[in-house]
Amino acid sequence: MARYGMALDYKNCINCKACEVACKEENGVELGAEKHRIWVGGNDPKGEWPLLDIASAAFLPSQCQQCEDAPCQEVCPTHATYYDENHVVRVDSEKCILCSYCMNACPYDARYVDDRTMTVDKCTFCSDTRLARGETTTACQNTCPTKVRTFGDLDDPNSEISELLRTREHFSLKAHLGTNPKLFYLT
Amino acid sequence: MQVEVSRRKFLQGSVTLSIAGASAVSTTNLFSGEEASEHKPSQSGIPSTITTKTSTKKAEDVPYLCGICVNKCAGFARVEDGIVTKLNPNPYFPKSRNMLCARGNAGIQTMYDPDRLKYPMVRIGERGDGKYKRVTWEEAYDAILNGTDKFKGIKQILDEEKDNRATIGYCNGEGLSKEGFEVLVGDKIGSPNYVDEISICLETVLGGYVNTIGTYGEADLNNADYLIIAGANRAEAIITPDTMDLFKRSKGRGLKTIVLDPRFTNTAAKADRWYAVNPGTDLAFVLALTYVVLTEELYDKDFAAKHMEGFEDYKQHILSHNYTPEWAAKLTNISAKEIVKTAREFMAARSPIYYQGRRSVFSKNDFQLRRAMAIFQGLSGNLDKKGGIIYGQKLALPKEDINAPLYAQVQSRFDKEGIAIPASKTGSWIVFRNMVLEGKAPYPVRAMFMRKHNPMSGVPNTKKTEAFLRKMDLNVMIDILPSDTTMFADVVLPEASYLERTSPVASYGGLEPAIVQRKAAVKPLFETKVPEEIYRELAEKLSKPLWEITQKYDEDVQDDTKGMSTEEIEKYYKENGFDLAEPWEKPVHEQNEEKIVKAFGKEAWETLEEKGVFYPNMDKYHQQLNPNEFQYYPESKKNYSVKGDSLKVVVNFKNLAKKGVDPMPTWHDDMAFSVPEGKFRLVTGRHAQFTQSGTTNNMMLRDLIPTNYIWINNQKCEEMSIEFGDKVEVKSSIGKVTIMAYPTNKIAPNQIFMLHGFGGSSEEMEMAYGNGANDALLIEDKIEPVYGAAVMHETNVEIRKV
Repeated sequence: MARYGMALDYKNCINCKACEVACKEENGVELGAEKHRIWVGGNDPKGEWPLLDIASAAFLPSQCQQCEDAPCQEVCPTHATYYDENHVVRVDSEKCILCSYCMNACPYDARYVDDRTMTVDKCTFCSDTRLARGETTTACQNTCPTKVRTFGDLDDPNSEISELLRTREHFSLKAHLGTNPKLFYLT
Repeated sequence: MQVEVSRRKFLQGSVTLSIAGASAVSTTNLFSGEEASEHKPSQSGIPSTITTKTSTKKAEDVPYLCGICVNKCAGFARVEDGIVTKLNPNPYFPKSRNMLCARGNAGIQTMYDPDRLKYPMVRIGERGDGKYKRVTWEEAYDAILNGTDKFKGIKQILDEEKDNRATIGYCNGEGLSKEGFEVLVGDKIGSPNYVDEISICLETVLGGYVNTIGTYGEADLNNADYLIIAGANRAEAIITPDTMDLFKRSKGRGLKTIVLDPRFTNTAAKADRWYAVNPGTDLAFVLALTYVVLTEELYDKDFAAKHMEGFEDYKQHILSHNYTPEWAAKLTNISAKEIVKTAREFMAARSPIYYQGRRSVFSKNDFQLRRAMAIFQGLSGNLDKKGGIIYGQKLALPKEDINAPLYAQVQSRFDKEGIAIPASKTGSWIVFRNMVLEGKAPYPVRAMFMRKHNPMSGVPNTKKTEAFLRKMDLNVMIDILPSDTTMFADVVLPEASYLERTSPVASYGGLEPAIVQRKAAVKPLFETKVPEEIYRELAEKLSKPLWEITQKYDEDVQDDTKGMSTEEIEKYYKENGFDLAEPWEKPVHEQNEEKIVKAFGKEAWETLEEKGVFYPNMDKYHQQLNPNEFQYYPESKKNYSVKGDSLKVVVNFKNLAKKGVDPMPTWHDDMAFSVPEGKFRLVTGRHAQFTQSGTTNNMMLRDLIPTNYIWINNQKCEEMSIEFGDKVEVKSSIGKVTIMAYPTNKIAPNQIFMLHGFGGSSEEMEMAYGNGANDALLIEDKIEPVYGAAVMHETNVEIRKV
């Protein structure tokens, strides 16, 4: 039993997409341009050549924000979306009827349709692969060249993530929506 | 904090993902047996799906070294029921520091690529038409030796050339088994005509630094506090450990970063300042920095007096030429104020680094540019110390003695035209190819032995490369995929990919030296073989017949063996190295064990076998610091400073003058950047999701970057009515391509950019074929004058919407 979360030192992200490939290989994610559990968002720099605003060209790694109050879970008519024992938002593909309410409800656009199973898929924090084997990192964290991610138990005061959240300033995406994400972006 | 995070918004805005349906995979089986042409489970050892979800079952973790680019990062391959389901980073290797990039992770798809070369093949059609016949290994070796009705064998060619082994040329791209191929074709068979990636890559950088500070060195980016990184794009051309060290600190602001690049790269996005330097004018920038530092006396005077040879000459040289910031501003597109500011900041920093850079030669002055950079680094005194360019140490492995035979009839290499200091071992690809093609070679070059190299894509002017390959009587290729170059081979030998083979142990030096071993995760798929086995079998096949040719023409051998009995001749043959197969008598794994046990003992070998990495005291030194970081060596054991008084910076390199090369970096007027009205300067580069043409058929990576685009300045596009995705014809003096447009503010109005490695011509590579454009069709085959290395950024092109 844990309450898993992730801290992202997102300014280190170079948009190399190692995390995305590691995720796909680890979790057997379907290929296809829109089929990914995690991704890196980015903006081109503002301005005209050669006067470009460097600060405007940021990369933002993203995925399911593992909300404490997840709109996707609230709207699911079949209870396919559920919290597992570690507070990870999961989808039970047996129960999913592909009504896509959850995809519309998610403010982070974190869900997509797996065409092979015709159910909704999303980040699971590697719950049924790495964590099930007793490993302590997700595939995306482990492979990252610049070590953007730190995954761990928010309820354990001695975990690295708890320490990071105590000592570093951080924010959540779309915090005003009250979804209480368990992904934290370090500033 | 305003960053767009929406998936769909991201898709719209992203040039890389704008083609839908890129992953709709179909397969051909032109080159293959039917059963293996798709991801079908009918062949054991091939996964049934493209990605395989890892299970909770017991699995084997095999230590291996990544081979998807030149870096050699270490990993563990997770093997479930004979299938590699996942590649994970290896936390023991100090060089790759527990990471695998996108390409490294996608290595699985290279091994299971449906288009892989699966069986030995012999050409039955005309060159380049793709008609091959599946044969046995023995038949393939026999075709190399004796030829077929379609092409001549090496025996006939060597007989006709009277045992002049130089009639064979050979090439090999970077890799752990490259040295073995050099031993086979160079040392044993006796060809001097070797060309590799160096003359189309980083030759001038290596040469410039080695000849100035005695090493290429390692930039200690973990401890530096100021960085100028020019023409190097570490966010997209990932190099370990540089990429990790740099970007962990740049936005953490532990490392102030100044980027010079004609285009706004992902590296520029992480910088404090980006200067859109004109292509080929970095030298003027460095000379002006030097001018500021010398006139304002900001340099490390003690260091200069003690370690810089010819410092006073250089000072005189820089001042008398008046390399002022104002002078450089006009040439570089960087203002004088910014140049002065950068020079002052650099010298005021505790640990400043002017990053050495790597990859291709940009312009003809590249050797001088690298010399000027190395000297400028010297002026800061930040060499051979923590936070500087460090020299490091290497763990020595026992040397292998190669018994190389001497051939009296062999002639020497000739690719020296227009080159001041020809490289005796690796030559110049462009000069070698062009002289053969133009009939300027002093003897006929009639065969090419090739391995893991794709000059059709890598060497500027593809048409000439094709003509060169067509001119040969015999082309042999050892590779894993049917590349553009493979399609001109007469005999194709399929090799095991890097996850299917144990490779010779390698030693990586530097700050934290280590020895690494790549172990085979699975057995070679299909009928492929590991390279060293191919070398041995080919050598066994060729050895005696080629020896007979030597006996027929080689007067030295005839004199030596006169009157000898058959047994004595056999003994002579073996003792003098004419037995070509002798270096591969033992398999690689056994040779590795012998070497490591001899140098470091049995325990070291056991560690290497289990962890893939070994260095002395690893059990004591190696520690996990937190979930993301490891200690490899304690601070006091890192090789920050090793040179002491022997440290020397050669500023005035007088011997160069004898070869017609400037002994000190000098600007010449013809180096100035200019593009005629209506034309554009073509610049090329790399991407974090591709390793040149070698990965364009990788399904996973193709999903991330479906094709290459031409970057055109957005305002220019408006003038020319070009919109995103429009097809554009790009034409240079040597060829033309069609490619889709990407209007962007990240490039100058008179320049264009395209990713290198796309536009494959081999129909046997389904994903790569015809996808995007091949820049080698456009880049003019110009060389720089010191080593004859290919110059990549001196071609102007015209573009028009089609």
